[in-house]
Amino acid sequence: MSGSIQVRGLSRTFHTTVRRPGLAGALKSLIKPDRVAKEAVVDVSFDVAPGELLALLGPNGAGKSTTIKMLTGILTPTAGEARVAGVVPYEERERNARNIGAVFGQRTQLWWDLPVRESFAILRDIYEVPNAEHRARLGEFDDLLELSSFWDTRVRHLSLGQRVRCDLAAALLHDPQVVFLDEPTIGMDVVVKEQVREFLRHQVEERGRTVLLTTHDMTEVERLAERVVLINHGRLVLDGTLDEIRRKFGSTWQVRATLADPHARVEPLEGISLLRREGPQVVFGPDGPTAPTVHQALKQVIERYEVTDIAIDEADLEDVMRTAYVQAEAASSAQAEVPSGAPAGGD
Amino acid sequence: MAAVHAWRAARVTPLGELHSPPRMTAELLRMTVQVVLVASLWRGLYAASGTTAGLDRDQAVTYAVLATLALRVRNLDQFAGRDTVIQHMHFGTIVYWYLRPLAPQRYYALRALGEQLYGLVWALAGYAVCLAAGVVQPPKSAAVAGVFVLSALLGQWVMYYVMLVIDQLCFWTLRNGAAMLILIFAQNLLSGVYAPLWFFPDWFITMSGFLPFQATLSVPLSLYVGRIPLSDAGAQLLVQAAWVVALALFTRLLWRRAARRVISQGG
Repeated sequence: MSGSIQVRGLSRTFHTTVRRPGLAGALKSLIKPDRVAKEAVVDVSFDVAPGELLALLGPNGAGKSTTIKMLTGILTPTAGEARVAGVVPYEERERNARNIGAVFGQRTQLWWDLPVRESFAILRDIYEVPNAEHRARLGEFDDLLELSSFWDTRVRHLSLGQRVRCDLAAALLHDPQVVFLDEPTIGMDVVVKEQVREFLRHQVEERGRTVLLTTHDMTEVERLAERVVLINHGRLVLDGTLDEIRRKFGSTWQVRATLADPHARVEPLEGISLLRREGPQVVFGPDGPTAPTVHQALKQVIERYEVTDIAIDEADLEDVMRTAYVQAEAASSAQAEVPSGAPAGGD
Repeated sequence: MAAVHAWRAARVTPLGELHSPPRMTAELLRMTVQVVLVASLWRGLYAASGTTAGLDRDQAVTYAVLATLALRVRNLDQFAGRDTVIQHMHFGTIVYWYLRPLAPQRYYALRALGEQLYGLVWALAGYAVCLAAGVVQPPKSAAVAGVFVLSALLGQWVMYYVMLVIDQLCFWTLRNGAAMLILIFAQNLLSGVYAPLWFFPDWFITMSGFLPFQATLSVPLSLYVGRIPLSDAGAQLLVQAAWVVALALFTRLLWRRAARRVISQGG
């Protein structure tokens, strides 16, 4: 399907040499290297619809970049299959290259010694973009990213923010249907980050591009992504919307109410527990897996009690993801401790 | 389908140089100093003798100066432009070579072509000045000039492949500094830049015959100064062409293996 990404059972195993410690160990390694297999990505499956922005999340070393490299055609999977805009990327790399754009963190694809516009012109020639189209697209990118103030500067003289903006433009100059962004805003200031987010939103909403984004910046995820895929130790942990993730890992809200009657009797509500009480101030929190959302809880508290003031504290996405990572880590450890041959599940 | 206008990628290195006037000034200075020193050295060496190793003074000076000028053809400062293969491997930007609808080997060849054409302009300008100043002698005949041009083209082709092999080493070693130093020394020694090969013992000349270096500069320059007669030119051109074919096949194999390496390492 045009602009879609389909990933089925994708796996990638790397074989590395383990160096033994000490002089004798180093000699042994030289004579008889100890090769070990490391599973970077294991049986990962997900879909990204055309015009959707999906955030691929996970802690460092989770397998995000390896997954992106397989989807861009740089890496060949050990097992499974991927299709990007209908093309198997690692089998038809040049055809795939016309459909995709990519930015890998702070690695620039621009020519260090040339003014940015020259780099754009070389990419125009490589991708066979007609001149008029090239000019129009540069104009559009300039409106959104304010490139013209520095696009005659040599790349070596650009600030990080300027360079990443140029790299984003360079990745999209040939009008790709699918864009892979591996931590594109790392190290950038908040103003430029916001500009980049606005640019990405425009590319998804107005241009209908499919974007697969990896980032550790949860504000970015919150502002851009509707759906998130979480991987850890190369395995898919969760695939869902931000709301689903919050429900699963982030039910850490609190409702703080000031009662009109400081001596009123306070009891727990359905799925809501009383956390503490200090005179007229009472604090409620979620109780168990059937806890309501913070807004439902707010409604219940107001309906049940006469309050003079009420406030809510909701765990931000950073906290939610921290919880998700910790739980995923614990699940991985538990799985690793299950003896071979024993069932992995508890029931 | 390969991109039709991708040949324009050949302008990468010349553009980088033209945007760096200090680098061009340094290049001009270096070339001038080298030509003056080399010409003085060989004139000095021949001051007390007539013909040595089959070369008279004018032939020897012409050979040495042309060798110095020819080195300019493919000796640009890509390191400053962060555009060497080793730097792309180091910074991880080599992945972009594999993300474009232009095969990495084709991009590399186009970039090298631009670099060699730009270097050729420098070498030709230097040659014109040296010829006008009487530092180098013109070719003895139009036939010699023609054979020299053909041989010089083949020599540059061989040079391209030799440099490519060194760059391809980066895919396995991630470092090619030592190999590059050895190459530069071997290239200068065995191609006759330091001194024409006839000054060396027979075993050395025999050994260098099994290596591609003398096909890069020694053969075309020897044809130019007349140390290799026109009657032997055909055989020499055939040897050069054989090196082109052999190195083309070898580097093609290395590109395939390098691609697998990038694929397995992920850039």
